[in-house]
Amino acid sequence: MEIIRSENLDKIYKDNGVPVQALKNINLTVKKGDHMVIAGPSGSGKTTLLNLLGALDKPTSGKIFFEGEDISKKTVKELSGLRLNKLGFIFQAYNLIPVLSAIENIEFSLMLQGKPEALRRKLSLNALRDLGIEELANKRPNEMSGGQQQRVAVARAIVNDPSVVLADEPTANLDTATGSNLLDLMDEMNRSKNITFLFSSHDPQVIERARILIRLRDGQIESVQTK
Amino acid sequence: MTKNLLINLAWRNIWRNKRRSAVVLSSIIVGVAAIISMDGLTNGMTYQRLFNQINLGTSHIQIHKTGYTDNRLVKNFIQGELQLKADILRLPGVKAVSERVVTFGLVSSAESSAGIYVYGVDHKAEKRVSAVSGLIKEGNYLSGAEREVVVGYELANKLNAGLGNKIILMANDPSGKIHSDVFRISGLFESFSSGFDKSYIFVNSNDLQNMLSLGNSYHELAIIVAEPSLAESLKGEIRSAVGSDFEVKTYRDILPILVMQIDLSRESMWIVNMIIGIALVFGIINVMLMTVIERIREFGVLMAIGLSTGKLFSLILLEALIIGLSGTIIGLVITGLIHIPFSYTGIDFSWFSEGLVSLGVGAVIYPVISYQTVLLTIIMTPMIAVAGAIYPAIKAIRLQPVAAIRHY
Repeated sequence: MEIIRSENLDKIYKDNGVPVQALKNINLTVKKGDHMVIAGPSGSGKTTLLNLLGALDKPTSGKIFFEGEDISKKTVKELSGLRLNKLGFIFQAYNLIPVLSAIENIEFSLMLQGKPEALRRKLSLNALRDLGIEELANKRPNEMSGGQQQRVAVARAIVNDPSVVLADEPTANLDTATGSNLLDLMDEMNRSKNITFLFSSHDPQVIERARILIRLRDGQIESVQTK
Repeated sequence: MTKNLLINLAWRNIWRNKRRSAVVLSSIIVGVAAIISMDGLTNGMTYQRLFNQINLGTSHIQIHKTGYTDNRLVKNFIQGELQLKADILRLPGVKAVSERVVTFGLVSSAESSAGIYVYGVDHKAEKRVSAVSGLIKEGNYLSGAEREVVVGYELANKLNAGLGNKIILMANDPSGKIHSDVFRISGLFESFSSGFDKSYIFVNSNDLQNMLSLGNSYHELAIIVAEPSLAESLKGEIRSAVGSDFEVKTYRDILPILVMQIDLSRESMWIVNMIIGIALVFGIINVMLMTVIERIREFGVLMAIGLSTGKLFSLILLEALIIGLSGTIIGLVITGLIHIPFSYTGIDFSWFSEGLVSLGVGAVIYPVISYQTVLLTIIMTPMIAVAGAIYPAIKAIRLQPVAAIRHY
């Protein structure tokens, strides 16, 4: 089942008034259960592409279809609703809300969805349990290690059962062992729960786990490998 | 965890930078304290001035023969046989009535003389209408004994006369003839108004009536009612009771300038309050802008995970509302704790301004906080805090999630 499809996607930035082509003619499809990695050197357009596919940014031209619906023309409010209900995000720098505990960070998007408190609590505890960090429920981000914070970020991303989880360089701030453990967990979720993951990374650990590897260079797809 | 995570988040955000929140909270507390204290002092001053004027002789309602107040001629007297006092005392709401013989005269001692208003009063009735009997600092108030006079300290000093000394009073009778008589100072008073202390003397009414050949006639009926607010409604009833030969005036008619000053000072307080409010708005804009700039990345993340711009806007306003409400409550409690003892003891401004005494306020001011101002402060201050957060909140919702997440 197709979740995201891009057609002739272009993105042009202006850098001090000078147009810079960040992405050119990107066509790709993300399907349910995929474990896709967008790889490439710095400046190749990985994060830009992830942001476009994650409805965080709008393309200069081309179309993005989410579950068959063109999102290129959607309003800010509609895109916000799409991100809330259909997408999960994992950032390089964890980006947890510093004043909320681990469980509150996870609950936050459920609260925005209007789920009742008891259900929120149950789902959040389940997510923490799945990530093996139940004991961190009441800890705040500044009381956790980087690896623990990123696990909470993963729990936050999967708790509302999104169609796809987008992870932007999730291991960049972690040491190799911690990064590997986290990736193992995400692999396991992909396999056992059929959660769709779309990564952007140049970390070999991430790349070697990809079942679909898309290599970008200078804003264009250089190659697509399917394992 | 509270049921509403958004409120919880707003509350915790406020306290993530305790020093900054304490500064903005302090400015609100000081603003609230300034508004309430200014209101208390202004009310205290104006009410005291009015209260003092009423108590020193103006009373709540005065009745005179029609035309008397135009030139205060002695011949415009009220016939004693009319029994007006008894009729008025029967009206509900009337507490006390005093008949007064009032004239302008000249008082002389062996060394000096001064123009004064002479009040001839029935000492028993007058005690229920005016506060002068309670202001005696030396000697005694009128007792009904022959030719006793009560004068203010300032006048006694001017005449170089003291307790027990004789003074000569000269005044015109209704036909214009000048009469004089000798009075002995039985008491010296000191009021809240230096002007009153040097311009008014009090004698027994029958002495003045005899001196001016007035029989049992008098010039003024001074009335005290149960509540000052009743004065206006009772004025109509009294007017119908006494008829058109008499003029009935309330203290608002008699002291129009003072009443106007009170109204004016109330209105000017709104201008002061508005200035404080504007200062608060800018303080809050500054702090909330800093808060927004510091949290750009966090707002980007919140928007990325699905927080709508409407909810983000609400979150920032909610933080301002909580600060505004907390500051208002703390400010009111602190001001209340300071106000309560001062409302009993008063604040002594004698070291600061002698002008208060010449204004008839008194050196000690008892602050009076109006519930309207408290209510308005409770409503307006949090609204001002929210208003101050609108511009920073607009800045926040205009952020692009992608750019905001990259912000360091």
